Amino acid sequence: MAEVSVKNVTKKFGNFTALDDVSMEFPDGGFFALLGPSGSGKSTLLRTIAGFLFADSGSIHIGNKSVDLIPVEKREIGMMFQNYALFPNMTIADNVGFGLRVRKVSSDEERRRIGEALELVQLSTLGDRKPHQLSGGQRQRVALARAIVTNPRVLLLDEPLSALDKSLRVDMQVELKRIQHEIGITTIFVTHDQEEALTLSDKIGILREGRMIQSGPPRSVYNNPVDRFTAEFLGDANIVAENDGNGRLNVSGNPSIKIPEGAETASALAVRPESLSISATEPEQEGLSKVHGRLVQRMFAGAMSTCIVQCGSHTYKMVARDQDVPNLSEGENIWLSWKSAQTIVIP
Amino acid sequence: MSMTLANQQRIKIFSLLSPAYLWLTVAIFLPLSAMFYFSFLSDVPFGQKEWFYSTENYQAFFQTTTYAKLLWKSINLGLMVTGCAVLVGFPCAYVLAKSIQGRSREALFLLVILPFWSNSLVRIFSWAIVLRGNGVLEIALNTILPFEVDVNLMFSTPAIVIGLVHSYLPYVILTSYLALQAIDDNLIDAARSMGANKLTILWRIILPLSLPGLLAGAVLIFVPVVGSFMEPRILGGRVGTYFGTVIEDQFVAVFNWPLGAALSFILLAVVLIILAVASPILRRAQT
Amino acid sequence: MSGVLLTRLGKLWLLSILFFLYAPILVMAFMSFNASQYYQLPFEFSLKWYEKLALNTEILDAATRSIAIAIVTTVVATVLGTAASVALFRFEFRGKRFLQVMLFPPIAIPWLITGTAMLIFFFGIGLGRGTPSVIIGHVALAIPYVIVVVSARLATFDATLEEAARSLGANAWTVTRRVTFPWIVPGIIAGALFAFAVSFDQFVISYFLSEPGDSTLPVLIYTSIRKGFTPEINAISTIIISVSMVVMLIAARFSNFGGER
Repeated sequence: MAEVSVKNVTKKFGNFTALDDVSMEFPDGGFFALLGPSGSGKSTLLRTIAGFLFADSGSIHIGNKSVDLIPVEKREIGMMFQNYALFPNMTIADNVGFGLRVRKVSSDEERRRIGEALELVQLSTLGDRKPHQLSGGQRQRVALARAIVTNPRVLLLDEPLSALDKSLRVDMQVELKRIQHEIGITTIFVTHDQEEALTLSDKIGILREGRMIQSGPPRSVYNNPVDRFTAEFLGDANIVAENDGNGRLNVSGNPSIKIPEGAETASALAVRPESLSISATEPEQEGLSKVHGRLVQRMFAGAMSTCIVQCGSHTYKMVARDQDVPNLSEGENIWLSWKSAQTIVIP
Repeated sequence: MSMTLANQQRIKIFSLLSPAYLWLTVAIFLPLSAMFYFSFLSDVPFGQKEWFYSTENYQAFFQTTTYAKLLWKSINLGLMVTGCAVLVGFPCAYVLAKSIQGRSREALFLLVILPFWSNSLVRIFSWAIVLRGNGVLEIALNTILPFEVDVNLMFSTPAIVIGLVHSYLPYVILTSYLALQAIDDNLIDAARSMGANKLTILWRIILPLSLPGLLAGAVLIFVPVVGSFMEPRILGGRVGTYFGTVIEDQFVAVFNWPLGAALSFILLAVVLIILAVASPILRRAQT
Repeated sequence: MSGVLLTRLGKLWLLSILFFLYAPILVMAFMSFNASQYYQLPFEFSLKWYEKLALNTEILDAATRSIAIAIVTTVVATVLGTAASVALFRFEFRGKRFLQVMLFPPIAIPWLITGTAMLIFFFGIGLGRGTPSVIIGHVALAIPYVIVVVSARLATFDATLEEAARSLGANAWTVTRRVTFPWIVPGIIAGALFAFAVSFDQFVISYFLSEPGDSTLPVLIYTSIRKGFTPEINAISTIIISVSMVVMLIAARFSNFGGER
């Protein structure tokens, strides 16, 4: 196991800058997510850490040693691919044992470690099958077993769960977290699914157009986004006030939105949909920010309900447990309110 | 009376398929059967000739070693040409499939395949111009090399091999290329991430996965080469006597058609054995 | 780095193979413009072999015959082959697999065997040698190619397009005419060009089936080569190979042969 550190890495493909001065620390044993829209450079970063690509400038350290001149096959990493990339000509056991055989491990030990790895992913009985005889979820487990069987220093996962359907994906998230915890391997995974990133990781790095916009623990990134892009990309955000261009926040003539102390010169204020409450009459409590508007749409989604509310030129989205939404019909005038402490200040 | 839907469909299927398959039956399958019948006759049953059923044509093959030796010579030629074509063509297909991208790949692929669809006779003829003594190859080599060389490959086994490799090389490139192109690049990346070097990847991933394509190409080369007669005739001259040329002779020079038919069938048997041996591996590729 | 070196070597290898494939053909073409009858260098440009060719009625007759046979073969094989591939694509029925496998022998069995078998059979039924026999043989060889090429195109057809058209109210005939057929046209054109090439370049079958003095161009070239080289053969060979390469280039454009779709 080892820590990974990426320092000022830049990578260009022709005129296109895929990574622009990217830095991030991945402490030993943690579970990290690289999150971003497609084309943000997250996969390029992962492939550069893996050693498939070499940075134009900057450097990458694994376990305090520079790996800048070490090609992928010597980097002692484990990698899992989006389509799993299981060798179709080999059995499951041979797939898992491939890295061991390359390392010329004795056949007794090879058998033992294949057994252990398959047991870890709960597929002990399927060693003799071929990949095409397995379900998507099983293949995913094999790919994981294959990636960790050589005791790599780092585990890299490229969109590991995106090929699975939703319910299986949630099961696999739990499984992945359990296995990572059990072996304590430094794990970096790439995803475009923000919920997955929040659920799994100890630390998130958000990329956009090749730049690392923000990195930190999920809760802190979620609650303190550094810019509007991050606020809107990681979860939903209602922008309630924007800077008017003269260095002052414009609350759209709505004095009942309270500007937090010291935030007068921020670029915007936002509030998460789940922070909002809805009521037919104006709420009276102290310390609330509130806006008046018209309920445009109410959508029932089982546990939660989503309301779309039009307040002047702003459209708000609100999410709450269905039982917490009073009996209102579409078209009614309503109030949205939130505790001022939940106002997100975007610097 | 109204027809059932199933009947209507049967008529449609029949009217669409029968012309093509009737044609194939008349022009391919009936002739092959007729030839089988002929191979058991003592003489052609045309005109006033006397004939009777006999196995003497097949006996002729087994009684003297001449035909068996020629068949072996043809099989040997087939192995040699196939071996050369695979050794030359597979790396070429690999480069095409894995190291060249985009439009230039398509263009290069087309360039490699194109000669295959031009007249094979003419291409063999063009080698005759290049390889003959005092020919282009000799002149070219003497211009480059500081010493005089005497290159007269014409009418030799190497000439036949060169000509046949030239004729059939695109087959193995085509089939290997298609097989190699189908290999997911992620598999190679995955093997590298597990620490495999290039040789291991070639040996354990790329070769096994492209083997069906490679083998298909090899079969497609071996089969026609064993039955070749035009190429040995033009490029081999006196050394160019093979099983195929003997069969040709029976039909156009000696006019011993029943013997020719028997020899053709022996050749067909060899071909079928080759196909039977190769087919399990080829079929495995489809799963 | 060794990777770069290997890639370079690979590309060099590819180029050498292209050289191997094209050099003799180019030499032949080059020599057809050389004045010397015995391919002597230095090169002296001359069109005299083409002029001689233009006066050689034997070769011209054979060329005309070859083209006529190729055209007939193309039309017949394309129609029959397309009909068969539509049936094989559209319907499920017993024996379908068998019919598909039956396309293999005409392609895979050496032409020497097929050709001599045809010779025996056509004599047996009293048809004998001659242009009709040659055409029957060529069509039989071309049909499997047409079926394979058209089927490959059909396989890329999205069946939901037909369903969409029917849901919009089109009847079966309109669907075939307006949706299915336009889609497979490139396949049919490619199949037709393949059929033309198979027939025009066919030597072995023609060799056994054509009558002496009534032969196709490749057969005439073969007999001339065996008698001794003449530069006229060079000239006509150059023309033939240019024609078939152009035909195949066009076919490749229509069939997306080998390229990613």
